[in-house]
Amino acid sequence: MPNASSPTAAPAPTRSGRPTAARVARIAGLLALVAVVLLFPSLAPDPFILSVGVVILSYAVLATSWNLVGGFTGYISLGHAAYSGLGGYATALLILRTGLDPWLALIAGGLIVALIAIPVGIASLRVRGASFVIVSIALVLILQLTFQSWHDFTGGSGGLRVPRPFGTEVLRPEQHERFFYLHAVLLALALLTWWAIERSRLGAGLKAIREDEDKAQALGVPTFAYKLTALVTSAFFTALGGGLYALWFGYLDPIFQFSILVGTYMVLMSLLGGVRSLFGPLLGAVVVGYAVEVFKSQYGDTQLHLVATGVLLGLVVLFMPDGVIPALTSFVNRRRRAASIREVSAEELANQREEAAR
Amino acid sequence: MTGSQGSVATQDLTKSFGGVRAIDGASVAFKEGEINALIGPNGSGKTTFFNCVTGMIRPDAGTVTYQDRDVTGLPPHRIARSGIGRSFQLCRVFPRLTVLENVLVAVQPHGLLQRLRGSRNAADVGRARELLARVGIDHLEHAEARDISYGQQKLLELAGVLMGDPHTIMLDEPAGGVNPALVERIADLVRELNAEGRTFIIVEHNMELVMGLSDHVVVFDRGRPIAQGTPAVVQDDPLVLEAYLGV
Amino acid sequence: MTGALFAQSLVLGVLLGGLYALLAAGLTLYFGVMRVVMIAHSAFLILAAYLAWYFHETSGLDPLLSLVITVPLFFVVGYGMQRFLVSRLRPISLTTMSVLLTFAIALTIEGLLGFVWTGTQRRVQLGYSGTSIEVAGVSIAVVKLIAFALAAISLGALFVILRKTSFGRALRATTQHPEAARLVGIDTDRVAGLGFGLGLATAAIGGTALALDYTIYPSLHWHWIGPLMAIIVVGGLGSIPGAAIAALLLGVAASLLQVPLGTTWAQTVFYLALFVTLMIRPQGFFGGRLAQRF
Ligand SMILES: Nc1ncnc2c1ncn2[C@@H]1O[C@H](COP(=O)(O)OP(=O)(O)OP(=O)(O)O)[C@@H](O)[C@H]1O
Ligand SMILES: [Mg+2]
Repeated sequence: MPNASSPTAAPAPTRSGRPTAARVARIAGLLALVAVVLLFPSLAPDPFILSVGVVILSYAVLATSWNLVGGFTGYISLGHAAYSGLGGYATALLILRTGLDPWLALIAGGLIVALIAIPVGIASLRVRGASFVIVSIALVLILQLTFQSWHDFTGGSGGLRVPRPFGTEVLRPEQHERFFYLHAVLLALALLTWWAIERSRLGAGLKAIREDEDKAQALGVPTFAYKLTALVTSAFFTALGGGLYALWFGYLDPIFQFSILVGTYMVLMSLLGGVRSLFGPLLGAVVVGYAVEVFKSQYGDTQLHLVATGVLLGLVVLFMPDGVIPALTSFVNRRRRAASIREVSAEELANQREEAAR
Repeated sequence: MTGSQGSVATQDLTKSFGGVRAIDGASVAFKEGEINALIGPNGSGKTTFFNCVTGMIRPDAGTVTYQDRDVTGLPPHRIARSGIGRSFQLCRVFPRLTVLENVLVAVQPHGLLQRLRGSRNAADVGRARELLARVGIDHLEHAEARDISYGQQKLLELAGVLMGDPHTIMLDEPAGGVNPALVERIADLVRELNAEGRTFIIVEHNMELVMGLSDHVVVFDRGRPIAQGTPAVVQDDPLVLEAYLGV
Repeated sequence: MTGALFAQSLVLGVLLGGLYALLAAGLTLYFGVMRVVMIAHSAFLILAAYLAWYFHETSGLDPLLSLVITVPLFFVVGYGMQRFLVSRLRPISLTTMSVLLTFAIALTIEGLLGFVWTGTQRRVQLGYSGTSIEVAGVSIAVVKLIAFALAAISLGALFVILRKTSFGRALRATTQHPEAARLVGIDTDRVAGLGFGLGLATAAIGGTALALDYTIYPSLHWHWIGPLMAIIVVGGLGSIPGAAIAALLLGVAASLLQVPLGTTWAQTVFYLALFVTLMIRPQGFFGGRLAQRF
């Protein structure tokens, strides 16, 4: 990550001391990204394309939020749809049952889900990855079961209509545009959080956990507390993503809210783009989200999208577990770096020989 | 930290894996401010002893004290905080983090705000670079740890441990698998750090190194100490010879 | 609850628990030998059920006979899956990546089942489908008895293989201490492959048993994988006796709760048990030393 805001350290200790030209390119890239997002609604030829844009941004929010736990700690949650679904339901139910303002309901919903994530984390994070995965899947299955059966409270399998935050005088395209920007803001917040954690001591500890948890503990990293922090933060943003989407979409169905497939998309997007890079999940969301939408409109709701998702996930896991972005950057870096390391080692070897000879 | 306190000590420490008694009622006291060595044949329980002391595994019975405080069963990070740093037998670094990032991991202070502070701040980075320079791999700071040589990884691991500023340093076979020149360098570092007042507990099979380096030697066999004393005393102990030669 | 109803539920619980036990044994076996949480286990279960159904549809023969084909087939597939897919994963992230890989396989199987045989619910109709026998006021469907017998026999066979054969010894050694097993000359890769094959063979048997008694559809595997994963955690990851005991207990509990709560809510007992186990004893209640670290 660029280190521009660091008040100190004159030769900025970025990875491989990137030349300033590269940093300029990065900033230019970032500005271009912001410009594309800002201009998209006015460039979109019709409301349908705009709505696809909203869906993709929503995926990007979810994937980036997922990556707050998946990318930093390496703990894979396959049931993150639990948090987005709960966020949607919490928002809707708060509006419906307490008459809370929709936006306050959204934030309150996020906080409630963050609270729910605490006991889940306590149960599943004390031991290593396997239990975490199992609990994550179990959670989404049990929530689907519960929300389908609990008619009185959740509307059951019949679904739940979510009141619209903007009045009926706001027309569809206008709705899409507003929600597009709202999702963009939420995405920016999630990215900013990821970025801030990445460069913090907390982030250093989390990444150490991902690489070698025993070793991290031995160096004084309070691994359990850190993992829990990451999970709760992730659940919070995921819930906001789910809630915002619910406000836009206007309808909740437990089958789709607590769907294993939605959780899979989050994982696939993050993994494809690269879990160790800030923009990896966003990139993955654009690619996979677009593909999913095209697939749906072309072939309808056939079982083939399951096959496609499954095969793609399998291929990524087997052949590109680090994702596209790291694969590219490490390819470039290694080529650049390999020479210098070899040089240094040779020099060192000579020194050692000298010493030994003495 | 005063010299009058005890260092790492155990009382009747026991740990079994299934049928194997890896540690069998071991009562040991290491000497504060000295370079202690823990030796013994393969499988005598040295690494398991380290793991019990540092909280990586919970002993079945017995107690571990450090500076006269009971630390049995504390989680590893609490033990690390209390001033014990350790290395691992098969050197462990964080493979996909850079050398510099590897060293920065050990700064994990109390308090949320402190933890949210940038990890690459001048103070931390400055100290990390100093330590890398001290072990002699500062020129590699931007390389990923998986790309550097095994010997360099050993040095990196040591720098990482030092970043936590431990009062007591436990090294599991620091000279295992590294070339003789590097062994010398590591030995010199240990002496220097010991002169600064740090206590060492070193597991090592390289007898030449152990005898040259340590002030106090504890010999393990089948999970319990069978001899201890100065290198010279231990070397002549018939029990030790028996354990090593398997008579 | 009346005494008769109680007895009836209890018997049904034990019968269901037997099937759970067999399937959970397979699931925990993969974990033992490879540290792999095999999400696709229940997808293979449903695949086997579909194969049994299809076999019956096309040949008109008893679906039980399909075992002759599916058991060896699944064994080979399991062996191949371990040797050619799972073993390619990097050891450093094996547990998590293998979850994703097997998850991907589960999705693919589910999609293919839906594609080939559509999402329509299927059911095997047999001459003895409706028959039941009555013992001391408790009536038991014959198909359930057959399914239980199949599960019990297979579980017994699995136990004998693991306890009495040299392959079983090698497998247990690999489970407990892979490095040590390698040192004494065990080809742990091959053993892991065979272990995987054995695990998948349990899915073939379970699936056939399932086809006798259940309506099947492609996404049914999600209803099985949740309880099965809960069972292996409660039993202690990697422990086959633990899995069997937990399966029986939870199967009976779910069956008893079904009367006052209904099917759906009764299912939650598995998840509740999972949560409670992780809270108070993360390594599981019956053995499973491994689990501490996973
Ligand atoms: N996690 C474990 N599971 C099962 N057995 C173990 C485990 N760790 C150690 N053991 C056993 O405990 C005994 C002591 O092992 P330990 O690694 O402590 O010996 P050591 O003295 O460090 O040996 P070495 O000099 O070879 O490193 C050995 O018999 C070993 O096989
Ligand atoms: Mg050892």
